[in-house]
Parts: sequence; structure tokens; C-alpha cells
Amino acid sequence: MLLLLVAGGAQALWADDGGIAMNTDPDTGIKRWKVTADGLDIELIQVPPDFIRASYSARGLPPSVSEAVATRCVFGTIVRNVSDMPLAYRVADWRYMNAEGVERPIKTKSEWLEEWHGMGVRFSWSILADDPTFAVGDWIQGFTTLAEPHGSRVSLKVVWSIGGRRYEKVLSNLECAPAPENDA
Amino acid sequence: MRKTTALLLLLAVSAAGAADLPPLGHEMNPISPPLAAPDFKLPDMDGESHALSDFRGKVVMLNFWATWCPPCRREMPSMQRLFEKYSERGLVVVALNQFEDPDLVFEFTGRLSLEPTFPILFDRESRVSEQYKVKGLPTTYLLDRQGRIRYRAIGGREFDHPEVEALIEGLL
Repeated sequence: MLLLLVAGGAQALWADDGGIAMNTDPDTGIKRWKVTADGLDIELIQVPPDFIRASYSARGLPPSVSEAVATRCVFGTIVRNVSDMPLAYRVADWRYMNAEGVERPIKTKSEWLEEWHGMGVRFSWSILADDPTFAVGDWIQGFTTLAEPHGSRVSLKVVWSIGGRRYEKVLSNLECAPAPENDA
Repeated sequence: MRKTTALLLLLAVSAAGAADLPPLGHEMNPISPPLAAPDFKLPDMDGESHALSDFRGKVVMLNFWATWCPPCRREMPSMQRLFEKYSERGLVVVALNQFEDPDLVFEFTGRLSLEPTFPILFDRESRVSEQYKVKGLPTTYLLDRQGRIRYRAIGGREFDHPEVEALIEGLL
């Protein structure tokens, strides 16, 4: 089924050709989305802001670092090469569309690290790698951070290449993790 | 209360992540042409320094990892089994922990069903991982007896798979 997303007031028109599996953890309420398309397998998992705060605090990172990430819409992202050739992607090529239909780039790992290194923070592992090339069977995980409020709905356009050919996939109607009750 | 909620969430998300992670593969991809592995010197759990060059003449599996990384935790027992099988023939496994405290890692390894007996070194500021251009954890390199990087795997693996063992047999 071809689902067309027409964003109100915006020129953008993103086609989501389906195939996306979504499920909700019955114990935690955490939602996750997964799709395999053209040699790429990608999974997005809601990351609650309190998880980010706890995780960064356990690493000894200052509150200024954890808050900058925790106040965003964050998805744990697992990307896997399921093709039989090398696969490459650049997060700088990815875009998301918010509920108002505004298309935006994603803050990359390199951009985060530039900020953190400027603050004297050497931690460099939580954010999704921004320009890897995967050999057969390689996979990686990390946070994808969108500048949207908790609880927002967004669509994500993922772009990658295999053998010099460009592919893209839209994952629509994703839900950012809700704000904790005591933040509301 | 807020701290308790955070810890519960931490456990819940970790558990959810671990339950549905992709299965671990066994592909080790060749690096062609082989690259000279940069030397480094890092402390172990007891503060004793080890250099990569100390292991020259052996086949070295170099694993970049952290305790908070689910696939790192999943693949560690298979590395230990591999080490037990091939250490007498000249395989060394070296695990380079990223950005963590030795006390935390000591507590973690003590809880594993198969406790690692290979060296765990501490790359506290990830400078060695930068030298090796590691993009994500876990990343594993397989070095030949001449200290050249011959194979690489990004993401978790079952290292005691027959196909990985065949690669190691070929290097020993």
C-alpha cells in the first residue's frame, strides 16, 4: 500500500511504501519500529529522557551534556547491512519531517562531538555514527536526535548507498518518547 | 524517587533492547591491503601497562567495547571460548574498554557466566579507538603475527563460529 504523507502548509511530499513493523513493549510502553529495504535493516526505539539522563550521569557526563540530548526527541537506532555488498550512509543526508510538515536535517555525531570536545568532554559513543561504510554483516547502534518536543510525531527519511546506487526509505508516523510525568 | 524511576527506565530500556537485538553474525571482513596496526600502551585492571607491541609475533584479536553496549556484552563469552581454544597456539584477545572506570568493569566481569581471562585494557579517553578510526561499539580487528590488520567486524559477532575459527587457523 502506498501511503502519501501530505504535510499541511508545506510543499514536502514523502512517500512511505510500507513494510514497517511497529510494536509496543507491554511492560515499559516503549515503542519500536523496524523495516528492511534494499539491503538495509533499520530499527528505531523510543528513548525516554530519564534514560538519557541516567545513562549519561552514570558515565560522569555533566548535566549540560545530558540535558542537551535529553530535551530532544531521541530514537535508539540500529542500522545493519543485510546486502551482499558494502553499504554506506551519511546522517547528513537524512531528513525528518515534523508534525507541521517542516523538513529538517538531523544533528550529526560530528556536530555533537564538536560541542562536547569544546566543553572538554571526551565521551564519543552514544550518538549514531554519521558516515560509516559497512562491510557484509556489519551493524551499528546509537542515538538519533531530533530537535522536536517529547511526544511529537515525525517522519524520518533514511538515505544510503550500495554499489554506487542511492536508496531511500521513509519511516512515517514515528512517535517521540513522551515526557516524564514530572516534567509535564 | 526520580533517581529510582530513572534506574527502572534504564533497566527496562536495556532489557527491551537486549531481547530484540538482531542475531549475532560471524562475518569478519578482510582489510585489503592489510594495514599496520598502530601501537599503543594502556593500563589493565591493576594499573599495569601493556603495549600492543608486547604481543608481536602472536595473532591478536583487538576488541573495542563498553559494558553499556548490549552486543559487546553478548559477544564477550564467545571471545573467551575462542581464547581458551587457541591461546596455547598463539592467539591473544585484547579487550579495550571505552570511557569506563576499572571498578565498574571489574564488577561487570565478575557477573559474567564465563569470566574473561584475557587482558582488558582501559582506553579512558578513547584515544586508541580514534587511532583505529572506530565508528561504533563493538568493533573488532584481527591482526596477524606481523602486527597487520587483516580482518574487521563492526557490530556484535559469535567469534567461536567455525568460519571465524577458520580465519584464525589461517593466521596461526
